[in-house]
Amino acid sequence: MGEDTDTRKINHSFLRDHSYVTEADIISTVEFNHTGELLATGDKGGRVVIFQREPESKNAPHSQGEYDVYSTFQSHEPEFDYLKSLEIEEKINKIKWLPQQNAAHSLLSTNDKTIKLWKITERDKRPEGYNLKDEEGKLKDLSTVTSLQVPVLKPMDLMVEVSPRRIFANGHTYHINSISVNSDCETYMSADDLRINLWHLAITDRSFNIVDIKPANMEDLTEVITASEFHPHHCNLFVYSSSKGSLRLCDMRAAALCDKHSKLFEEPEDPSNRSFFSEIISSVSDVKFSHSGRYMLTRDYLTVKVWDLNMEARPIETYQVHDYLRSKLCSLYESDCIFDKFECAWNGSDSVIMTGAYNNFFRMFDRNTKRDVTLEASRESSKPRAVLKPRRVCVGGKRRRDDISVDSLDFTKKILHTAWHPAENIIAIAATNNLYIFQDKVNSDMH
Amino acid sequence: MEFKLEAHRIVSISLGKIYNSRVQRGGIKLHKNLLVSLVLRSARQVYLSDPCPGLYLAGEEDTDTDEEMETGNVANLISIFGSSFSGLLRKSPAGGREEEEAEESGPEAAEPGQICCDKPVLRDMSPWSTAIVAF
Repeated sequence: MGEDTDTRKINHSFLRDHSYVTEADIISTVEFNHTGELLATGDKGGRVVIFQREPESKNAPHSQGEYDVYSTFQSHEPEFDYLKSLEIEEKINKIKWLPQQNAAHSLLSTNDKTIKLWKITERDKRPEGYNLKDEEGKLKDLSTVTSLQVPVLKPMDLMVEVSPRRIFANGHTYHINSISVNSDCETYMSADDLRINLWHLAITDRSFNIVDIKPANMEDLTEVITASEFHPHHCNLFVYSSSKGSLRLCDMRAAALCDKHSKLFEEPEDPSNRSFFSEIISSVSDVKFSHSGRYMLTRDYLTVKVWDLNMEARPIETYQVHDYLRSKLCSLYESDCIFDKFECAWNGSDSVIMTGAYNNFFRMFDRNTKRDVTLEASRESSKPRAVLKPRRVCVGGKRRRDDISVDSLDFTKKILHTAWHPAENIIAIAATNNLYIFQDKVNSDMH
Repeated sequence: MEFKLEAHRIVSISLGKIYNSRVQRGGIKLHKNLLVSLVLRSARQVYLSDPCPGLYLAGEEDTDTDEEMETGNVANLISIFGSSFSGLLRKSPAGGREEEEAEESGPEAAEPGQICCDKPVLRDMSPWSTAIVAF
């Protein structure tokens, strides 16, 4: 680990083409902090890499706010559950930043079973001039000490220190799929396939179970929890999505156990689209509240949908991400691609939504103009500071130059994890083991 | 007939996925197995409802009683996949609840002995033999 790992991940410049990907390097989550100054990534090997945005300086106008590696640490290690004879993967499923309350930064990282609170601090001063120790820390010969001195703090090279402050273990029987920090900044929730737990950030030996959808008889199981999130402003509200495509908004004031939802958001299935795989493609893989708190964004296999909290009957907007895959569901089922869990993201003003697709494509939809664009995250098409060229997938009919046909899409190149800076038009795209950061210099029209 | 072949193929693929999930790192994923079992159930329903020559139609048999049919090949499947597979084959009055026992066995698990299969599926044994041969 160290510098070579870090430079491999940043794609500011051309590096060797890595056609062989080590599985441990595959990025599994990407998250900006609340100011956008820091960007955290987690990978399958249990590592977390934090990037920091360099302040814009007049001396180097070309490096306006680029992200450089700030810290790297091993968050989770593989574990073995001896009772169940199960290996617990070290893959980081989610990272969530805590709002910054002092000079230190804190984040929560989780694998399938254990959530950890990490504190990131900077040290840029070092005390020098001890009386009893010399510079290397060895004890001085007392006969050489003739006078007393007060140690002085001297500046040193910046050192970023990371330490695990809390370990929240043994809260989940099933695999944790999401964590979400509450707006009260004191509690957070973690969700697995069947249960959601509420934790206090300072208490690790217990948690409250707030949702439990496990049936008395496991054979009656029909749906699982796929994602969950706290409302950005109302600390009593949270939403969770299910494998059946529904969303449940719950109010923690109503009862201790929020099995009864306050609102159920569900769209009736279109019977003309029914197939063997209808249930799989309707499973919601990600849910995100808008920054305003008024809307929710969901992603299922083929679409992204915007829901209004005031309307439960159907989404207010539906965008097709890659509808041309609808006729290929059987082969996508065979290859397991149909189980891919794509995430979705809002921009800072909730006017644009973004999600990933295959062939290292990602899509953006402007909710106001109703225009959409397909872009590609690849070394060949993104020289530093070049403008990304919109891509198109042709589905029969007129084929333009540079169009990609559906059959030549590379389904091993999938963009599952994307993040949008909370305020600016900066996006982070995880393409397998590479992280791409795109910045928008000018306001350009999307088409 | 096309639907039947397609359904048969999907059943074989699904069984393979369930089998592979047992050896995957990180343990059995409940969500994925639930989805696969739903596909398996849909494919099975299509397979059974497709009226093809030689197929015993569902209406003619007593669908309410659990019958111990010729379970030779099914027993083979059980020995390959383990007792948790029996839930997938159970024909229940509710229309076929098929669920893979994922994380928890024990009191909630299906009893290994109760294996029941629809006559038509057992009659046309080649899909199941294919699955066995594959694994």
